[in-house]
Amino acid sequence: MSTFTITTLNGVSYAFILFLLAAGFSLTFGVMGVLNLSHGALYMMGAYFGLAIVSKLDTFWLGVVVAAIGTGLVGLGIYFFFLRHLYGKVPEQAVLTIGLSYAFANVVLWIWGPFAKMGMTPSLFTGVVRVGDLAFPIYRLAIVGIGLALLVVLWWMQDKTRVGAIIRAGMDNKEMTRSLGINYGLVSTLVFLFGAALAGFAGILGAPILGAYPSMGDALLLLTLMVVVVGGTGYIQGTMLGALIIGLLDTYGKAYVPQAALFTSYVIFIVVLLVRPSGLIGRKVF
Amino acid sequence: MATRPADVLFGRLARRSASVSPAAAGKGGAAAMLKAWLPAIVILVLMLLLPTFVPSYIQSLVTKMMIFALFGVSMNILWGFEGIPTFGHAAYFGFGGYACGILIVHGGISNFWLNLLLVIVFTALLGAGLGIPAFRVYGVGASDNPIYFLLVTLAFGELLVRVAIAARSLTGGSTGLAGIPYPDLGLPITINSFSFYFLVLLIVVVCLFLVYRLVNSHYGYALRGIHDNERRMQALGYNTWLYKYTSYIIAGAFGGIAGALFAYFGGVMVPGNMGMAMTDIVFLIVIMGSAAWYFGPVIGAVVVVGVEYLSSVYVPDRWPLIMGTIIVVVIMVIPQGIGVMLLGLWRRLVRGRSA
Repeated sequence: MSTFTITTLNGVSYAFILFLLAAGFSLTFGVMGVLNLSHGALYMMGAYFGLAIVSKLDTFWLGVVVAAIGTGLVGLGIYFFFLRHLYGKVPEQAVLTIGLSYAFANVVLWIWGPFAKMGMTPSLFTGVVRVGDLAFPIYRLAIVGIGLALLVVLWWMQDKTRVGAIIRAGMDNKEMTRSLGINYGLVSTLVFLFGAALAGFAGILGAPILGAYPSMGDALLLLTLMVVVVGGTGYIQGTMLGALIIGLLDTYGKAYVPQAALFTSYVIFIVVLLVRPSGLIGRKVF
Repeated sequence: MATRPADVLFGRLARRSASVSPAAAGKGGAAAMLKAWLPAIVILVLMLLLPTFVPSYIQSLVTKMMIFALFGVSMNILWGFEGIPTFGHAAYFGFGGYACGILIVHGGISNFWLNLLLVIVFTALLGAGLGIPAFRVYGVGASDNPIYFLLVTLAFGELLVRVAIAARSLTGGSTGLAGIPYPDLGLPITINSFSFYFLVLLIVVVCLFLVYRLVNSHYGYALRGIHDNERRMQALGYNTWLYKYTSYIIAGAFGGIAGALFAYFGGVMVPGNMGMAMTDIVFLIVIMGSAAWYFGPVIGAVVVVGVEYLSSVYVPDRWPLIMGTIIVVVIMVIPQGIGVMLLGLWRRLVRGRSA
């Protein structure tokens, strides 16, 4: 029983890590319809940017800010110079961004070397919580808290703010939104910047659990794709649902049927694409 | 196909393909046919003579170029001619290579021809299995928003990567399947790195010829019709699903042949050969070489494999960075590819001489 409780807690905290990772991708892919497959490389860079600051200045939260700003700027560059000009050319976007992510991974490998780095846990959240004979790291609980806060903020932005309304209008009809005098180009650039910044934020927050190594982007990108597609494109609550499904399934799988755990999430991904391509609670954006 | 509008189109296509395909030049006679095929014959003779005047490492490099040329051409059936952006084509390449390697290492089948036949059968079966869900996701006329098809094919490739990592006893896990020897032809010829060049040349030339005939047949013109307007093709009475499905299987089988040759060439298959990175390289080969021209991917393969070789000699660790830069430059600056540019140059040259 207690192992089941621990596994469930692990699954939930893993789901919130996935949610943090996927939130940015959900904005750029699910909402704007831009397929940025270098999103995985952005987490990786976020983790490295943040760890560079943390190891020099020993302040975790400054590292988080720097990671978010750094990847935000990189993402802005990707959007402004490349993806903006490839609007509607999905295969070209995919080829270009996969190429970019390998180039980024190589640059990081060049600068920081091939060895994995472990992020240190901020001193505020070190230690474990004990309930009876169960022990659980505080940092994982903190991740759940941060993930919930982010969910609330993004949900509020999506449903209650002017920016959210513009984005939703743009999803339905870009030309009509533009013709109403809204600078949709500016809004989408800012959304892309925000999505990329979230990637870096997730990268550094996940570093104490996932670590940081140059090739981490690939695996995380695929997980993120699954989370966003399974849960549903276009809504942040869909991303949360997808993160819970993939996170819990993956954790239970690893605990109880380790042989199959490597590909259960792929099978779910393919089944969802077959049955409901827009995801469980998503709307069709493409 | 009794009296349907499709017949009208078939008739028109037949005439068009006759005027396009040099092989069926008909009344022009042997001289015109020879003239049309002259560049191909000259290149073939040069390729046959090449090993006599280049060192062995160049010969091995050209072998790799030929393998990737076939890989690119097989993918271009889908992307260039039919407009289907498959992001899992490397799955067939890697699966073919793994099938070939497993048959030799674990199956004990050493005969090259039997092995090649089995590889074709297995990759075709894989294509037949994956094609059904893939084209269910694709829908009809999805060339405007092929995003879900792209994702599902990407997932197929990555799923196969995971399977290859997990099935350690069969595939050698993440370190890869090693110890694939040079092929045994069942003839009194031993294949080494020198004669392997000629074997690859033979297989690749035969495959390129077959694919060329395929894309210039009625079938190939139907694929082009699907590229331009799938709904209209349906209205004309074509079962477009069947065309897409069969072309997916055919492209997969040719990709599998390229993979099997690659397995023999390198002697080792790693899971990454089926994944995203390999698909991206083949996309680069096709886009750089020109998806719009049949021989474009051949040019793309020569450039990409050549640059990869140069990078492995001078800056061995920087290949992904160089590859990424090339991809960005190709897609942003020359999206039509260098093949079309070279073709235009060649045509101007020829016309200039004859005028």
